[in-house]
Amino acid sequence: MNRNYIKFLGLSVLAVFFLSSCKKILDENPRSIFTPDYFKTEAGVQGGITSCYGHLRLMFGNGYFLNANQISTDESTWGQNSDGNVKTLDFSGVGEIQAQTSNTGVLWGAAFPNINTASGVIENGAAVGVSEALVAEARFFRAFDYFLLVQTFGGVPLDLGAGELKFNTSTIRTSKRNTVPEVYTKGIFPDLLIAVDKLPASGRVTGGATKTLARLYLAKAYLTYAWWLQNPNNIPTYPAAQRTDPNGHDASWYFKEAYNVAAAGLESPGSFGLQPTFYDLSLGSNDRNNEMLLYADHTQASATYNGGDLSYSTGGFSTDSFAQWFEQWNYTNIRTSSSNTSWSAVSSVQRAATQSLGRPWTMLAPPQGVFKNTFADKSNDSRYDATFVTRYRSNWKEAALKVNNAIPENLYNANFLPVANGDAILSFLNEDVEGVDYSNSKFNSNVGAGVLPGRADFVIEPSAFSRICYPANWKLGPYRTDNNGGLGQPNGSLTRPFPIAKFSELFFIAAEAAVKGAATRAIGGTYANDGTARGLINVIRARAGKWRFDNGNNIAKVQDNSAAMTAATPGSIDIDYILAERSREYFGEGYRWWDLVRTQKWADYGRTFVIAGKTNPNDWKDHTVGTFTRNIAATNYLRPIPQSQLDALDMTAAEKKAYQNPGY
Amino acid sequence: MRITLYSSKTVMEFSGFHFKSAFTFAVVAMLTLCSLSLHAQKIAVRGKVLDATGAPIPGVTIKVKGTAVGTITGVGGDFQLSAEGNSILQISSIGFVSQEHAVNNRSVITITLLADSKSLQDVIVVGYGTQRKEAVTGSVASISGAKLNEVPSANISQALQGRVAGVQLTQSSTKPGATMQIRIRGTRSINAENDPLIVLDGIPFGGTIADISPEDIVSLDILKDASATAIYGSRGANGVILITTKKGNRGQEAQISYSGYYGIKDVMKYPMMQADKYIALRKRAGLNMNPGADEDISGATNTDWQDLFYRTAAVQNHDVSVVGGSEKGSYKFGAGYYKDEAPIPLSQYQRFSFRTSLDQQIGKLFRVGFTSNNNYSITDGASLGMYGVLSMSPLLNAFNTDGTTKRVVSMPQDNQWVYTKQTLGNLGDKYINRTKGFGSYNSAYGEVKIPGVEGLKYRLNLGANYITGNTGSYTGIGVFSADVANPNTASISNSQTTQWAIENLVSYDRTFAEKHTINAVALYSSEQISYNSSAIARRNLAGDTFQYFNMGQTSTGSNDDITIDPNNQSYWVSGLMSYMARVMYSYDNRYMLSATIRSDASSRLAEGHKWNSYPAISAGWNIQKESFMKDVHWVNNLKLRVGYGQTSNQSVAPYATLGRLSVRPYNFGASNANGYYVTELPNSNLGWEYSKTQNLGLDFSLFNSRLSGTVEGYITKTNNLLLSVGLPPTSGVSSYTGNVGSTQNKGFELSLNGVIIDHKNGWTWEAGVNLYRNVNKIVSLASGQTRDESNWLFVGHPLNVIYDYQKVGIWQANEATAVKQYEGSAGQVGMIKVLYTGGYNADGSPTRVIGPDDRQIINADPKFQGGFNTRVGYKNLDLSIVAAFQNGGILNSTLYGSNGYLNLEDGRRGQIDIDYWTPENPGASFPDPKGPKNSNNPIYGSTLGYFSGSFLKVRTISLGYNLSGKWAEKVGIKKLRVYATAQNPFVFFSPYYKQSGMDPEPNTYANDGANMAVSYGYGQRRLLTVGYNTPTTRNYLLGVNVTF
Repeated sequence: MNRNYIKFLGLSVLAVFFLSSCKKILDENPRSIFTPDYFKTEAGVQGGITSCYGHLRLMFGNGYFLNANQISTDESTWGQNSDGNVKTLDFSGVGEIQAQTSNTGVLWGAAFPNINTASGVIENGAAVGVSEALVAEARFFRAFDYFLLVQTFGGVPLDLGAGELKFNTSTIRTSKRNTVPEVYTKGIFPDLLIAVDKLPASGRVTGGATKTLARLYLAKAYLTYAWWLQNPNNIPTYPAAQRTDPNGHDASWYFKEAYNVAAAGLESPGSFGLQPTFYDLSLGSNDRNNEMLLYADHTQASATYNGGDLSYSTGGFSTDSFAQWFEQWNYTNIRTSSSNTSWSAVSSVQRAATQSLGRPWTMLAPPQGVFKNTFADKSNDSRYDATFVTRYRSNWKEAALKVNNAIPENLYNANFLPVANGDAILSFLNEDVEGVDYSNSKFNSNVGAGVLPGRADFVIEPSAFSRICYPANWKLGPYRTDNNGGLGQPNGSLTRPFPIAKFSELFFIAAEAAVKGAATRAIGGTYANDGTARGLINVIRARAGKWRFDNGNNIAKVQDNSAAMTAATPGSIDIDYILAERSREYFGEGYRWWDLVRTQKWADYGRTFVIAGKTNPNDWKDHTVGTFTRNIAATNYLRPIPQSQLDALDMTAAEKKAYQNPGY
Repeated sequence: MRITLYSSKTVMEFSGFHFKSAFTFAVVAMLTLCSLSLHAQKIAVRGKVLDATGAPIPGVTIKVKGTAVGTITGVGGDFQLSAEGNSILQISSIGFVSQEHAVNNRSVITITLLADSKSLQDVIVVGYGTQRKEAVTGSVASISGAKLNEVPSANISQALQGRVAGVQLTQSSTKPGATMQIRIRGTRSINAENDPLIVLDGIPFGGTIADISPEDIVSLDILKDASATAIYGSRGANGVILITTKKGNRGQEAQISYSGYYGIKDVMKYPMMQADKYIALRKRAGLNMNPGADEDISGATNTDWQDLFYRTAAVQNHDVSVVGGSEKGSYKFGAGYYKDEAPIPLSQYQRFSFRTSLDQQIGKLFRVGFTSNNNYSITDGASLGMYGVLSMSPLLNAFNTDGTTKRVVSMPQDNQWVYTKQTLGNLGDKYINRTKGFGSYNSAYGEVKIPGVEGLKYRLNLGANYITGNTGSYTGIGVFSADVANPNTASISNSQTTQWAIENLVSYDRTFAEKHTINAVALYSSEQISYNSSAIARRNLAGDTFQYFNMGQTSTGSNDDITIDPNNQSYWVSGLMSYMARVMYSYDNRYMLSATIRSDASSRLAEGHKWNSYPAISAGWNIQKESFMKDVHWVNNLKLRVGYGQTSNQSVAPYATLGRLSVRPYNFGASNANGYYVTELPNSNLGWEYSKTQNLGLDFSLFNSRLSGTVEGYITKTNNLLLSVGLPPTSGVSSYTGNVGSTQNKGFELSLNGVIIDHKNGWTWEAGVNLYRNVNKIVSLASGQTRDESNWLFVGHPLNVIYDYQKVGIWQANEATAVKQYEGSAGQVGMIKVLYTGGYNADGSPTRVIGPDDRQIINADPKFQGGFNTRVGYKNLDLSIVAAFQNGGILNSTLYGSNGYLNLEDGRRGQIDIDYWTPENPGASFPDPKGPKNSNNPIYGSTLGYFSGSFLKVRTISLGYNLSGKWAEKVGIKKLRVYATAQNPFVFFSPYYKQSGMDPEPNTYANDGANMAVSYGYGQRRLLTVGYNTPTTRNYLLGVNVTF
């Protein structure tokens, strides 16, 4: 008994000693997360670079980001289903731009963490033996983000807390903005010059950064900075800065350099070039073609790597691609009749994951000027046909729509004429015509469309294009190969790469620099031309004249209107012509606001627009045409610093006020 | 001797591999018990125990002196035992003066017990020991199991609500099986957990409060102030709940009890707008002029989707226990089954529980014991939510012309899979969502009296827990999707937690010279928790038969269908080491002093900051024991208590000091890659958060103990608050975890218990009330900052604030000019008017439009809270009512606000019933549907969700009857009680209930995206809200408790 208890006690005491030596329970060994130390390994640096590509998705493909760069320009106004996020940026009397509610902060929130990541890669890259070419990719993305920031917000901080352009690991909660010339000369040009030098001619990975891409951005940055130095319309900058260059150059030097860098890019395009037709450029099955210099990639193979749900996306502010939904209207309202004697409505165009359709959000609508002025030429220039959805075609077979328990062969549309599956149910006409009956009394399209005698499709004339019903943007529409004969998954996150930069833009940059006085020279190589603005633009226009396929009519159409196109180019090209041509080339892809801000033409171009639905934009049948005006102040050329930034700053109210751009 | 079974191997295993050892221990203990035997020469003694009025007293303990033989009286005060003819019975019961009674060879004995005017002999559990109530110096609130079980409930949290001053229980989910959030004396921490520590039968419990069956509880003691909790150190930082469970008594005959109830649920429906009102709203909004293909705008169709959806749900609970004892030991076994069905079809929670405990004296010096609590639970259909149901417009016709239910219905802009009882019922193999959880919580102790030193004991506590969860779900092709061909998906996730704890205790307990009582405890302990979880998902499974059971069976064979999200895999290990010493000294039961010192080290904190030591001290004075109080007869007890103590908190996530990279998956064409970027910075200075509490309390018992109560006041200051600090985007990193700022809680608590009628003519009437107020505020934030707008933290304001615009009304028709001045071009009459704080021009117009500067800090904390309960008994019948109340505070209902998407006011989807502004209805409180929208909701729509949090809620009304009689004795029934209970029957004084007819208690965390369309950020998680979680129900139960 006694012996036993001593044994028990002894062992307990032993246990205590055993535990006392067991201090390792206070040590930590994470096994499911990466700590920042991983960034100091070669694999970590590689991962940092992948993250740089990944961050593109936070902006490109995000509908609110697209909205911010489209709305209030001559290309876009708010659509019928727009909410305050969209309307506050239209300046047309339906809301005020605000730091808290306007989605201009998408860029701000995406850029700085990526700048820091890029700085980390640049700092650690050499030490862990990563090649200069690889580090140059990070340099490209740092410059890329600073370039977007400086165009949008004015001067932004180069020091994130650890010193200028240093990898920040400090917990500092203050911030100081640099000036515009500091951002360009310290933050953008040096990185891009190294990127041009070190990046490979062909991408390391599919969609990888290349020398040509770096040239495009360097040329564009020079061009943009040159405009800023010149400041022809006296647009204010912030924080206050003299319009002089710390490097001692002037605007014309930068215009000249913009031209030279772009010209070099055109002469040694590497693996890049122009697609044979404009249609091919944006055709879903031809994604990642050699005209695309940069895109935010996506995939239908995996929701994880796609960054968005493949079945149903919520369209949030993340890596989802949902921008295309903004300029698609609710075509599912279209009705056709199942009977040819009395109107018996069935839904003939249903949501489908095809390039013409997709998910309708009706958030961005193109004003009528787009169709009447910008795309006035719809027969020679293939770009109208390959930019817009001009026919909405029936898909009841894919939808397995049943009438009397069977999928019908024909339905009856306008004039009770039979239509087959795949036929046009609604056509947006190229021009206004006489005699369209919009009454919808006998043949009720349900979308306020009209009827022309002898035509089976409903029609709408350009003068009746409204905020609720208009041709959608075809270029950005969904493309998937897993529809399996059905409608597919139109509500899923888009799985196509979202375009960011194209080879064609080198022509425009050189041309714009030429218009602004840069000395020109003959361009050699594949895209040989005389190097003048007209010569450069005509390369683009010649390609635009080439047809391979008639998208609207859904039939092959081989035609070469290049000669007519180049002949129509005016002898003397000015900035307005460049901007018009840019709109034809890049319509609705999020270029416009930046183009207009760079050239200081925004207030001008955005001032008035015309669209139908003046009396009641929610009424499909309202075809009354209204002219709307916008009131864009010079201070609006800089977007407000997002409220989330100001809220998170540990600074006084006065300091926060000074941090914000004037006018907000 | 049995003790030799404790081989050296076993003990070593305890320190190394504890789980296995716990079982070994259990087996040993059971063998020990089985080998015991009882034999003595006895006669049968029967009797009755009565009180002064002649009423029988149940539950009286009767022991044969000098033996372990004993029993407990039944409902009728009856007892029966075997004793030798010359033995002496010891009769004791709480609240009565104990007595001894000689048997004198009688076989029938009637005993009358006198009420004890000082019912202060009650023993209170104070952690690592017990104390007589009159000696307690810290702030300890106690409640008996009997009182708790007046509210039949699945877990104690529901039963505790409104019962104890200073203990706030708030609903955080209405899903079946959910527990409540417990806050003792308010919220101290911003980031750290504020949940109290649960100690089960003396050993810290690794499970949650849901793992303990209320039926099993004898008493529950809550340590509220730092001087009381200090012994538990950092784990007790948020208060400690000590739970004592039923145990057999030594020498007691086996006693079998069954308790159970069955109830049906009456759902409190979400108030959705009906067809005629909905048509008018849609017309007024004007946005959706074309109805959906399945809608009928004539008004003839008025589908109540909730009626088509809810099922009749039931709740049931069954619990069987056996307690008993032998000469030198006692044992207990218990088993329970609980099933809670939600009104949502396919959604339910089932729990099987098994518990056992053994206690054995070995020789004169040793005592060993073992407790094991095991739960197995099955949760079904947790993924089913309400939004799909509530968001369908009432104009939709659910049925095809042939009477079948439609698969999908079309609204103006949305197609919605049809959620009804029938469609869910028809899913069969096409849907499953099941979580199986198993938790085993085991503790064992060995205690030895050190010979030669009276009162000195050594005790070893060992705890070993194993918790595992397995969730599998499968959704068939097209299920819940508007797209008939939507691929099927399956997912599984598993988690495992292992936890061990060792406590070495040396205690010394002795009274010197009759007046000096000393109790000293020294402790060394360590514990470790390991957690690991993994999850995988796949789409395109080969068919419904496989569900999630074989994810290798696929229709495509593509690995791209597999998702292993790194964010859904987790591993962490966390360790804690502690030393503690406590001395309690009492002189003549008049003056009491308790002093504690504790040191903790946590693995979660940074190197060099892991250790922290802190003291606590408290004193008490039993005033009525002083000679000058001798003649004050109406005072039975008067005690003043004062305490000061520190505690600390380590509750940051493990590895918070190390920083973190986030993963960013990306594809380069057809090849996938993972990117990494820094989202969380390391903090090599991360140290303990600690609180200092001062407590002053007065306990009293007056008028022959008919009125007793406690008044208490406290101040708690918490420094070095742990917080995940959000960084501005320009820092390039999202956040870091740091010690920032400090908070303060000041509070006042009052509890009163009275016996209004004391056994008069068969009547008794007791009532209790408690009331408390806690004022919380942030005293400082990092680096002298006074506002942290992105985290909603403001110096001088409570942690629970809403930082938003403040609605002051609706812009009226005569303010058409003003609304444009304040709101700019988007301004419209009929929209929400919010407070403007800017300046004015000479003409009275505002100098700017309303913007972020006008956001207000709105206090969301209640002014005071409490509860009351009353019990009226007449003979065998009793009626008890338990109620809880709250005054002030903010109830944030995202159903009405803009986060829920049910108050879009655009006639696009289902709409919550509101009275909205029109020129003809200017007094309405909701804005004009035609007004401007921000995102999808009216501008400032979030303000529509803020309601006053006041309510008085009758939680239960229970009518019980104690059956007794000869027939009962014949079948061996000692106690039989039947009761009927109504849960949540009434709500009063609640503006939210008035608006909605819904429960005024929250049902979801603010960052729970499943219950609102747009969830708040993690920083706002602490704010509880009402979202569209499983609807609250009123339950009607019938129950029975029987003891054999």
